[in-house]
Amino acid sequence: MSETSAGGRALHRMLLHRRDSIGSAYQILTFESETPIEVAAGQFAMVRSETWGHAPLLPRPMSLLTGGHRPSILIKVVGEGTRRMAVSSSGEPFLLLAPLGKPWSAVPEGHRPVLVAGGVGVAPLLFLARELLARGGLRPLVLYGGRTAADLPLDRDLSAVAELRVATEDGSRGEKGRVTALLAAALSEAGGQSDPVKVYTCGPQAMMAAVAGICADRGVLCEVSLETPMACGYGVCLGCPVARSAGGFLYACTEGPCIDAAAIDWGRGDGAAVVPAAALIAGGKVGA
Amino acid sequence: MSGADLSVQVGTLTLKNPVLTASGTFGYALEYDDFFDVTELGGICTKGLSLLPRAGNRPDRIAETAAGMLNAIGLANVGVEAFCTEKLPKLRQRGVTVIANIFATTIPDFVTLAERLDREEGVAAVELNVSCPNVDKGGLEFGVDPGAAGRVTAAVRKATKLPVWVKMSPEAGDLRGVGIACQEAGADALTAINTIRGLSVDVRTWKPRIANRTGGLSGPALKPIALRMVWELARAVNIPVIGIGGVATADDVIEFMLAGATAVQVGTASFADPLAAKKALDGLASYCGERGIAARDLIGKMAAA
Repeated sequence: MSETSAGGRALHRMLLHRRDSIGSAYQILTFESETPIEVAAGQFAMVRSETWGHAPLLPRPMSLLTGGHRPSILIKVVGEGTRRMAVSSSGEPFLLLAPLGKPWSAVPEGHRPVLVAGGVGVAPLLFLARELLARGGLRPLVLYGGRTAADLPLDRDLSAVAELRVATEDGSRGEKGRVTALLAAALSEAGGQSDPVKVYTCGPQAMMAAVAGICADRGVLCEVSLETPMACGYGVCLGCPVARSAGGFLYACTEGPCIDAAAIDWGRGDGAAVVPAAALIAGGKVGA
Repeated sequence: MSGADLSVQVGTLTLKNPVLTASGTFGYALEYDDFFDVTELGGICTKGLSLLPRAGNRPDRIAETAAGMLNAIGLANVGVEAFCTEKLPKLRQRGVTVIANIFATTIPDFVTLAERLDREEGVAAVELNVSCPNVDKGGLEFGVDPGAAGRVTAAVRKATKLPVWVKMSPEAGDLRGVGIACQEAGADALTAINTIRGLSVDVRTWKPRIANRTGGLSGPALKPIALRMVWELARAVNIPVIGIGGVATADDVIEFMLAGATAVQVGTASFADPLAAKKALDGLASYCGERGIAARDLIGKMAAA
């Protein structure tokens, strides 16, 4: 499946430059890369510390927040891999296999981008928002949801590059409720045919399924960044199948992670039904 | 790389070195173009090929466990025809030593697969997967019973001029009996071992962590068991044994060879590091170079306790 994935991927050894906490639950790991990693917004890396030995065994798929000489990832502890990352020290040697997967596709001509984020799903969307501003001088609308005010990492970074609207389930920040309500409202404000929108979303599976459903109902283009367990990240383990709307499976690592929401069979629920909810909310892209 | 002679003889097939990659962990090898020149390896075993393409099991298919992982992919593959027309020409052009791993639920289908591959240039051997634990039918049955293993091996033996390797199941009660039956039926080599069925349960959801419930355990957790089985098997048969099960480094390669393996297959390690097989090969070359030995000098040379 390498034919379908972006070129230039390589295994890069790099040291952890710094680890920054965001509240009690989230951290940003920033690495120091001698060679710049050419990453497009939405691509991911398989991340593993050389200190892990045989356990944890597998690298963790993580959306990249930045590339270049300072690649970075946003993590929340959900399992052994992220727990180890969360206590890693500056100077610790890591292996990053990157860049992997399909990036976000371009905003179609004449369309307005609306970004819908949940939890650590914010990482590839902040990357996208920064690119949209830097390359097109565009401040996109970003709708950002979390359980509480503490579950909105990088919200200030988003505010710097986007028009940010926030919802929390407990009402501790922004609107009380779910981010999907913000989306429905935003799409109703939009002027239909004369003001077409393209939605980009990343977050818990249930959130993305709901976003995809709202967009499908209204005929709005929607692109999602898939999250699944993954062992290799480059198309050989076949551990990351997602039900395809046309039948069969697609593989999140090479055909995604960024993909048209219409390509996914959200209703079949094969994947969603067996992925532990906590793992999905916590993101990275794998539940450990 | 040093000048040590790393070549090994697997029946009539000479491999330039004993480091291969395992079926199901290396795709169709073309996926590694960005990482290294796979022609450096002794060979690659393809993803298990069936007569028709298979979509595989529903997710989740994989779960990490202590020093290992469970998988129940369900033999998702492009099918033998697409392999022969789309993958093999590219492998042939690159000069990759290709071992075609084949899977079927009936002996006639195994025969058809072998006949199809026999017509192609660029296949060095076929490896019979009679030991997949993750499909409803046709996987393990052939591999755990000496009679059945012998029958499928004999049928494929008649259908092709290619060397025939048979991949052993660790779940055979009588592993040596199965190995001897395959040898008597004309197998050129035995690959040992496939994964061992395991289970992992999510304590948050109370569900099995993979949709198939059970999955095959692979990775370093498997290695001592695999080594013991390779050692037993190598003493029971006269044909070469290809060692597999937790091989990740040069030391692992050497350990398997000392225990009796003629060559090894690197599997799950390629997921953690796509260059794992190449690194193991380079380490083996240094080890042999430093000692002034050939790789084949290691085979079965485990010393007395």
